[in-house]
Amino acid sequence: MSNNTSTNKSRNYLNPYLGGVLLGLVLLAANFVSGRGLGASGAIKSVVATTIGTVNKEAIGTMPFMAEYAESHSGNPMKSWLVFEMLGVIVGGFLSGAVAGRLKLKVEHSPKITSRRRLIFALAGGALFGFGSQLGRGCTSGSALSGMAVLSLGGFITMMAIFGTAFALAYFFRKNWI
Amino acid sequence: MGPLAPNEIISENTNFLFAFFIGIAFGWVLESSGFSSSRKLAGIFYGYDAVVLKVFFTAALTAMLGMLFMSMFGWLDLDLVYVNPTYLTSAIAGGVVMGVGFIMGGFCPGTSFCGAAIGKIDAMVFVGGLFIGVYGFAFTYGWWEKLYLARYLGEPKISETLGISDGLFGLLMILAALGMFVVAEWAEKKFAREEY
Amino acid sequence: MKQLKLLALIIIPLGIIIAAMPADKVKHSRLTPDELLQEAGAGVQFISPDVVADMLVRKDPSLKLIDVRTPEEFESFSLPGAINVPLSNLLSDEYSDQLNQDAYMNVFYSNGSVYANQAWMITRQLGYENNFVLEGGLNYWFGNILSPATPSQTSPDEEFARYDFRKSAAAALGGGGVVSTDAAAPAPKAVKPPVTAKAKKKPSGGC
Repeated sequence: MSNNTSTNKSRNYLNPYLGGVLLGLVLLAANFVSGRGLGASGAIKSVVATTIGTVNKEAIGTMPFMAEYAESHSGNPMKSWLVFEMLGVIVGGFLSGAVAGRLKLKVEHSPKITSRRRLIFALAGGALFGFGSQLGRGCTSGSALSGMAVLSLGGFITMMAIFGTAFALAYFFRKNWI
Repeated sequence: MGPLAPNEIISENTNFLFAFFIGIAFGWVLESSGFSSSRKLAGIFYGYDAVVLKVFFTAALTAMLGMLFMSMFGWLDLDLVYVNPTYLTSAIAGGVVMGVGFIMGGFCPGTSFCGAAIGKIDAMVFVGGLFIGVYGFAFTYGWWEKLYLARYLGEPKISETLGISDGLFGLLMILAALGMFVVAEWAEKKFAREEY
Repeated sequence: MKQLKLLALIIIPLGIIIAAMPADKVKHSRLTPDELLQEAGAGVQFISPDVVADMLVRKDPSLKLIDVRTPEEFESFSLPGAINVPLSNLLSDEYSDQLNQDAYMNVFYSNGSVYANQAWMITRQLGYENNFVLEGGLNYWFGNILSPATPSQTSPDEEFARYDFRKSAAAALGGGGVVSTDAAAPAPKAVKPPVTAKAKKKPSGGC
């Protein structure tokens, strides 16, 4: 523990329990102000819907999934709560990194693998996560975290499926991380 | 009183402004807890760093307790708070796909934006992957529609499903989470890594 | 470890307090005649056929149509996906699980709206929620949704929008007795139903 605390301190990370309480208060504020939890993947969906709509107006009509979404956002998918929230996340993350002196352009990876391998896995992982978040109606923040806070059965199921699968497969990807 | 926006105490545009500020706080907390580092995040799966588990569950507990107390004091109408509908099949299938993405990519969507904001190139690539994934799902939606809509259960609460009160479930979850934290502290000592 | 002990010290008492609070929600309380009269008078139970048509076209899984007519009538014609619960059997145990639930939106329908409304009254009196009545019943459905009348030249725009929506809905539902042979029949272009439900306002969400 002492070992770990010193690592944490040298990197100026918040104590995880304090961070958790703060994150919980942010989530509580979102629920109190807007009646909804936090999220991330929904903002990406908005951007994708907008991009498809701009590039090819016809195409969106042939994609029932996107058309319905654009329809339910009064014609402009960018005007959504999650898009504004995610813009805030980028600003907040940048400010925190700047204050703690962590702004640095780099590829983070285990010394056992190359940057190239790390980036390929990041792309594949991102694509799977993006796909899964649409199928599961929300990602770790939107479905699992926010869902658990409101005691949604779906939130607990999604949380267990995400972490259970990742644990089960951890052995096969250990070289990437340790 | 609350929630403010659904009760039309604040306007839609004010709500968007709040969304931006809530986002800043969200990003700040994620980044300062170390969620912008994929190796720190992946640590939970190998026992060397349980920050994800600790932050995630402490946050869920804090928010859950906060909402139950606010509801008890009559400050927040829980019936007006959005609850994700449960479609059993797609919740599991989507979760499994996300789990594979998590262990391969080392991020989840929210944390990848944080990592990208402080210059992690792997996080930026992950964000690129997210777009591909979302586009891919929309493009092939016809294939998954049945799966996507199967086993609709409404918006059940886990406490209702188990047949216990919200408060009792909250207490059980607190005890379970504290038990996991103790195990996590032990694992961090056992599988400790000096530099990662 | 110190912080964990501190967290436990704060959070466990809070959990005990919340667990000790009595569950305040007493569900399925019976309504007094006054309350029922008030609800019925306000017409909260009615749901517009346009909304139902839209949900049918979108294959909304939360919609459950319940035909309260006799089994013979149900056999000869019913709406897509409807189940038959004859009014005379409404109170049998067989159906109570389907009528008293909170996952689906049940919509009663009959030829007009009298029988469906009776079904709603009875279930509402029992304290069941999420049951609704198709406004105008099947007669209105046939006359207006499946074969909408062309609006006149001078009609307001909304009238035309409604007509377009109903026409595409009718095509999608194989309506009007006209079997559409055109495979690429105008896929309902997500035209918004012009009349929205009087449902409770819920914040939208989704990650």
